[in-house]
Amino acid sequence: MGYLWPCYFLARLYLFFVLVALEYGYCFTGRGTIPGHLTILGMTTDGYGQIPIFALLVFLGFGHFRLRTLKEKLPFGRFFFYAHLVPIAAVLFLTIAVREGFNWQHFDPFGYIKSVLYLLATILLAFACLPLRSWIAGMRATGHLWLYSLLVGVAGWAFGNPVKLLWKVTSTAQSGWMQTETLYAVSAVVQRFNPKIISNFSTFTIGTPEYSITIAPGCSGVEGLGLVLIFTSLWLWVYRKETRFPQAFLLIPAALVCSWLLNIVRLCALISIACAGGSLAFTAGFHAQFGWVAFTLIALFFSLATQRLSWFRKLPLSDSDSAGQNIGGLGATAVVREPQSAYQGESPAIRAYLIPLLVILTAASISKLTSAYFDWMYPLRFIAVAVALWFFWPELKKLNWRFGWFGPVAGVAVFLMWIAPFWYASLMGHPHAASSLGSDLAALSPSARWAWIAFRVAAAVITVPIAEELAFRGYLARRLMSREFDQVSFTRLTVFAIGISSLVFGVEHMKDLMDWQHLLLGTVAGLAFAAVLRWRGRMGDAVVAHAISNLLLAAWVLGAGDWSQW
Amino acid sequence: MKKNLLMNTLVVLGLVLGTCASAHGMVFGGRIPASTPEIDPSLAISGLTLLAGSLAVLRAKRSK
Repeated sequence: MGYLWPCYFLARLYLFFVLVALEYGYCFTGRGTIPGHLTILGMTTDGYGQIPIFALLVFLGFGHFRLRTLKEKLPFGRFFFYAHLVPIAAVLFLTIAVREGFNWQHFDPFGYIKSVLYLLATILLAFACLPLRSWIAGMRATGHLWLYSLLVGVAGWAFGNPVKLLWKVTSTAQSGWMQTETLYAVSAVVQRFNPKIISNFSTFTIGTPEYSITIAPGCSGVEGLGLVLIFTSLWLWVYRKETRFPQAFLLIPAALVCSWLLNIVRLCALISIACAGGSLAFTAGFHAQFGWVAFTLIALFFSLATQRLSWFRKLPLSDSDSAGQNIGGLGATAVVREPQSAYQGESPAIRAYLIPLLVILTAASISKLTSAYFDWMYPLRFIAVAVALWFFWPELKKLNWRFGWFGPVAGVAVFLMWIAPFWYASLMGHPHAASSLGSDLAALSPSARWAWIAFRVAAAVITVPIAEELAFRGYLARRLMSREFDQVSFTRLTVFAIGISSLVFGVEHMKDLMDWQHLLLGTVAGLAFAAVLRWRGRMGDAVVAHAISNLLLAAWVLGAGDWSQW
Repeated sequence: MKKNLLMNTLVVLGLVLGTCASAHGMVFGGRIPASTPEIDPSLAISGLTLLAGSLAVLRAKRSK
C-alpha cells in the first residue's frame, strides 16, 4: 500500500488540508454553532474567514511548482496524529454537550475552550503530516510568498464588501449600480421593438402586465463577469510563457464587455420571447442555459485569441511553422521542436477521444436551451455522436475493441449496485423520485413516444458508453499519467489515475451539486469499468460493461416506470 | 522582476475580484420567482465539463 500513501511535501500538505476540512466538518457541521474566533482558520466564507481562503489559494497557486520540487520522502508522525485525536474528541464531546442543552444563560461557556483545543489539534496534525524541518524547508522554498499570500487574503477580505456594493442594495448604502445599468440597457433595447414593455427602476422589474421579470443582483451580469475574470486571469497566468504582454491584458476588458453585453442580449431575448407568447418551458430553459453558453463561448474565443493571434502569441504554432525561426528574438536561429519549446500542447489523438463526449454535452446544452423540462432533442445526441464516432474511426480503430465474459458480468454487477438503493426504497414503500419525464412522454403521440424511447435506449447502450469510456478511461485516466496519453497502455493504469478519473466520472453523473448519491454510485461504477479495462487492457471490455449496465437500467426504467433514473 | 511582480499582482487582483463577484452574485438554493439568474449553479457540472474539454481539444497539437 506504500505507493498509495503520499510521501512528498506537496502531497502531504494537501493531505493535511483534507484532514483538517474533514475533521472540522465532522466536529461542527450540524452539531452546533461554530465558535466565532475559528472563522480566522478560513472554515467559513463569512467575515475574517475570507482571509485564509484567499491566502491559501494564492499560496498553493503560486507556490505549487516550487513545493513540488521538494522530493524528500517524509515520515508520518504517528505520535502527533494519535495525540491530536485527544483534543478533537474533546471538541466533539463539548460540541455535542452544548447542543444537548448544557449551556449557561444562552452563552456557550465552552466556546473558547473548544477553540483552543481545536487549534491545538490542528497544530498536532500539522506536525503529524509534515515534520517541523519540512515546514521550514517549504517556507524557504517559497521565499516571501506566505507574506504576499496573507496580504492578498487581507486585500480580498477588504475588497469584498466595497465590490459587493456594485450590485447589492444594503441598509447602509443604496447602490445596486449593476442592476440599474443593466435594466437601463435592457429597457432601451426592448422598448424600441415593443413600446408596451415598461420598466420600474425602484423594483428592478421590466415587462408587460402579463409577464415581467425582476433583475435580481445575481442576474445583473455580475456572475458572468466574475467567472470571466477568474477564467481570463488564470488563463493568462498559466500560459504566460506563450503570451505576449502587456497587450494580452487588453483581452480581459474585452471579454468582460462581451460578457455584460451577452447578458443584456439574454434578458432582451427572454422578455421578447415571453411577451410574444413563448412557452414557459422555452423561457425557463433559455434563461437557465444561456449564461453557461455565453460564458463558454467567451472563454473559447479568449483562449483562441491568445493561441492563434500572433499579436498575443509568443511562440510558433507548430513544428512546421517554427522551422528556422528566430527563437525569442535572441538572434539564435534554429529549428524549434515542440518538446524543447515552452509550447506543450495536447496529443493530437485527444480529438478522437473527447469530441464524442463534447458532442453529447453540446447537444444537451442546445436541447436545454430550448426546453427546461423535456429533452425533446435527444435523438440529436444519438445521431451527432454516431457521426463523430464514424469521423474519428480511423484513429479509434487502433484500440482493442474485443471483449470477453468479464465485461458483461461487470455490467450486471454495476447495474445491481446502481439500482440497489432505489430498489430497496421501493420495497420499503417509498415512491420513486419525482420526474416529469413519464408525463411528458405520455403527452406525445404513440409514434413520437416510441421513437424517442428507441433513440434514448440506443444512445444509452451504444453511443453514450463508447463516448464516456473514451473520455474518462481512454483519455482522462491515461492523461493523468502522461501528456502523450495515447502511448500509455491500459494495463499500466495507476491507482491514482483510476481513482481520479472515476471521481470525475461520478461528478459527471450528479444531477445537481448536492446529489451525493449519484456521485458515489458514479464513482464506484467508474472504478468497476476502469478495473475491467485494466485487467485485459481492452477498451471493448469496458464499453460492453458500461453498455450492459445501461441496457439493464433502461429495462428497469421502462419496466418499473422509474423515470428519475433517466 | 518588476514585470513578473506586475503580472502576478494583476492576476491576483483579477482572481480576487472575480471570486468576490461570483461568490456574492450567485444565489444557491431557492429561486426567486420571476427572476432571471445569469449562471444556473445546477448546470455547472455539464457547463464546466464542456468548457474544459473544449479547451483541451483546442490545445491539441496539429496532426502530423
